[in-house]
Amino acid sequence: MDLSKRCEDVPTLEVRNLTRFFGGVAAVKDVSIAFPPRKITALIGPNGAGKTTLFNLICGYIAPTRGEILLGDRDLTRLKPWQIAQLGLGRLFQDVRVFGKLTALENVLVAFPSQVGERFWEPVVRRAQTLKMQRQNVERAMALLELVCLADRANTTAENLSYGQQKLLAIARLLAMDAKILLLDEPASGVHPAVLETVMNLMISLAKQGRTVIFIEHNISVVLEVAHWVYVLDDGEVVAFGLPDEVIHDRVTREVYLGV
Amino acid sequence: MLLQLVANGLCAGALYAIVALGFGLIYRTTGVFHFAHGAVYTIAAYLLYLFDATMGLPTIGAALIALTGAAVSGVLSEVMVYRPIARRISSPLATLIGAFGIYLFTVNAIALIFGNETKVLRSGVDITFPFGPIILTRFQLLAFLAFVAVCVGFLFFKRTQLGRLLLAFADNPMLVEVLGWNTSTIRIGVFAAGSLLAGIAASLSALDVGMDPYVGMSALLMSAVAVIVGGVKVFEGAIVGGILLGIVQSLVVWRLSARWMDVFTFIILVLFLLLRPEGLLGKAVRLEEAR
Amino acid sequence: MNYLFHILVMIGIYVILTQSLNLVMGYTGLLSVCHAAFYGIGAYASALLMTGLGANFFVTLPVSVIVSVLLSFVVSIPSLRLKGDYFVLATLGFQAIIFGTMYNWVSFTRGPYGIPGIPIPTLFGFAFDSPASYTLLSLGLAALVVTFIYLITSSQFGRVLKAIREDEIATQALGRNTVLFKTTAFALGAGIAAIAGSLYAGYVRYIDPTSFTVAESLFLVTILAIGGSGNIQGPVVGTIILVLLPEVLRFLRIPDTIAPNIRMMLYALALILVVIYRPRGIAGEYGFE
Repeated sequence: MDLSKRCEDVPTLEVRNLTRFFGGVAAVKDVSIAFPPRKITALIGPNGAGKTTLFNLICGYIAPTRGEILLGDRDLTRLKPWQIAQLGLGRLFQDVRVFGKLTALENVLVAFPSQVGERFWEPVVRRAQTLKMQRQNVERAMALLELVCLADRANTTAENLSYGQQKLLAIARLLAMDAKILLLDEPASGVHPAVLETVMNLMISLAKQGRTVIFIEHNISVVLEVAHWVYVLDDGEVVAFGLPDEVIHDRVTREVYLGV
Repeated sequence: MLLQLVANGLCAGALYAIVALGFGLIYRTTGVFHFAHGAVYTIAAYLLYLFDATMGLPTIGAALIALTGAAVSGVLSEVMVYRPIARRISSPLATLIGAFGIYLFTVNAIALIFGNETKVLRSGVDITFPFGPIILTRFQLLAFLAFVAVCVGFLFFKRTQLGRLLLAFADNPMLVEVLGWNTSTIRIGVFAAGSLLAGIAASLSALDVGMDPYVGMSALLMSAVAVIVGGVKVFEGAIVGGILLGIVQSLVVWRLSARWMDVFTFIILVLFLLLRPEGLLGKAVRLEEAR
Repeated sequence: MNYLFHILVMIGIYVILTQSLNLVMGYTGLLSVCHAAFYGIGAYASALLMTGLGANFFVTLPVSVIVSVLLSFVVSIPSLRLKGDYFVLATLGFQAIIFGTMYNWVSFTRGPYGIPGIPIPTLFGFAFDSPASYTLLSLGLAALVVTFIYLITSSQFGRVLKAIREDEIATQALGRNTVLFKTTAFALGAGIAAIAGSLYAGYVRYIDPTSFTVAESLFLVTILAIGGSGNIQGPVVGTIILVLLPEVLRFLRIPDTIAPNIRMMLYALALILVVIYRPRGIAGEYGFE
């Protein structure tokens, strides 16, 4: 993957008045945020503030009680998760979710968007094309694994990788997807500092290319280092937003995190 | 006529309800789809046959042995198969297949020892009791009385500390463990109780119509249908489901034909699974949230 | 010698059955206990067309596949939304419903009386009337099926199925319509099982519903559990062992009256031991996790 190549025309992802109730509790309350391309936006806040729920709403895994989700001028609110993914939204889950019994290589291969060989008759009737596509994909997949320093583990089953390696694999999957808008849920948690360095550099490069990067994080130094803009959530609402430096040192943020 | 059909259905449903309550108790509390419940049922029936018909014990004695045997079989299933599986893989599919293995082994062992033919414990015309416009045979009456006893016992049990503990365990096994209770003992208790119920239903049915090695499968399937129809999350669901099933089957046999009764029962199962998986007594949940 | 051919024919039929169930269970992770119903639908479709319309066996093959696939949608489209145990129960329900219909719709299927007098399959004048020729037919079709399944599972299609098995939510996050894939796998499984049914009908030349019961569905699951699933070799290993075992018993002079029971007890024991100690089976990849 050529990370210097520009990614044009990535639409802005926007949520407007997004609300979601679970029983009587509002997990997300009237949240309105715009995520522009070429920017890295961080979502921070204490546990239970609704950050992951917001991601689940955007990606279509749960339906909002009120409000809308827009990609450019396209309404995503009623779409299914796979349709939203096909529109270019890539998700890194908090619990990683690699395909345990598939090898690292296969994990990346399966992430390439619709391929010859994916419809069940193609491997039989379009044999030559399927094989050719397969060969090309293996090369591209290996290049991605190199990028995340997992090339030597290409044939290891994913369940046998360490947590940090699995995280890198999941990111490689996102790259294979060629996701235009990346939603990363705690990309820095539980990883070795060297891995963290790789992850942060990738986030910066991807944004420079023109993609939108959104991430949830508890690691404030990571936020300070890569984020262009920060939103603070508490109890399902946006309580503060702005430049990382200002927001992090703001009184409201400290109250929200430390209860001071 | 209608009243008689309903009465017949009620008594048949009474037995369904008892065995389904046992199944539901186990399923709801431990999460195990105890396919081997059918094996336990069959074991009880044949123990009764062995000691009553073959060895000539008084029926009560044979029945007690059958009930004990049922409880023991249930506990053995848990200890020898389900627990070892759970220790190694946390997959409900693996447990289901293990349960099926137990059923298969047991039923074939019984067929091996006793043969495939239907065995009868009582022959001749049965004593009947008239109740106004309806007539009940001795066994129908027994079934109904057993059902009432089980219901009363169950309602009483729910109010005891043990009963409340089981309900808590069904909702959150880990929390109960944290509170200091021994979950493996609780599970054994649940299997024993559920299997005992299967034994009661099996004995009554065996005394009435006899048995063959495959009665367990029917009993199991009826339990599963009753539990789904009545509602998994509520223990009473099995009871309601069983009674309803008995009555509906009785009416269907009269209206349509006996041959299609099974197909009809399974159509009901499938409809409930698809349209109302939480059952009649369960709270309506979206399909995505249904367990 | 004829006896050996008989075994080979049955191995061919069961390889087709288990490979098709493998697609559903081993690759996609769906435990289906209604596979024997599709086996039966294939057998009945071919039998009825051959006896009723005098159709050629090879013409009935695609028809039985299509009928089976269409019926698979009746099962899969409503049921695939169900989770875990509930999906298995739904397939159990459909198995019972389809069997019950085969058994009771006497005017169409002749119910318990079965369909006798199924003609010998012929192809351009050549009749598969000898044990040797039917062995060729059975193993030939089995080889085709295995090749087809190998081709599709070693490609992106197979990879997506395995991904769905491992984590459906993550697979959706990669832009795949997982419901479509599951429905497709289920339909392919049903269609291929129908081929085995037609093959069986042409071989034994008399079929009745008792060959296509819940017990048969569960037997297929047992073969996959013991032999292994999730790859090509598991089902083949399982089929060979479980089809050969009865012959070994016969060799040991166990009387025919109790042999079936002993056989099932051994299968059941093997099943329990496998699930506890070696969930992937002898040669498989998928261990029900």
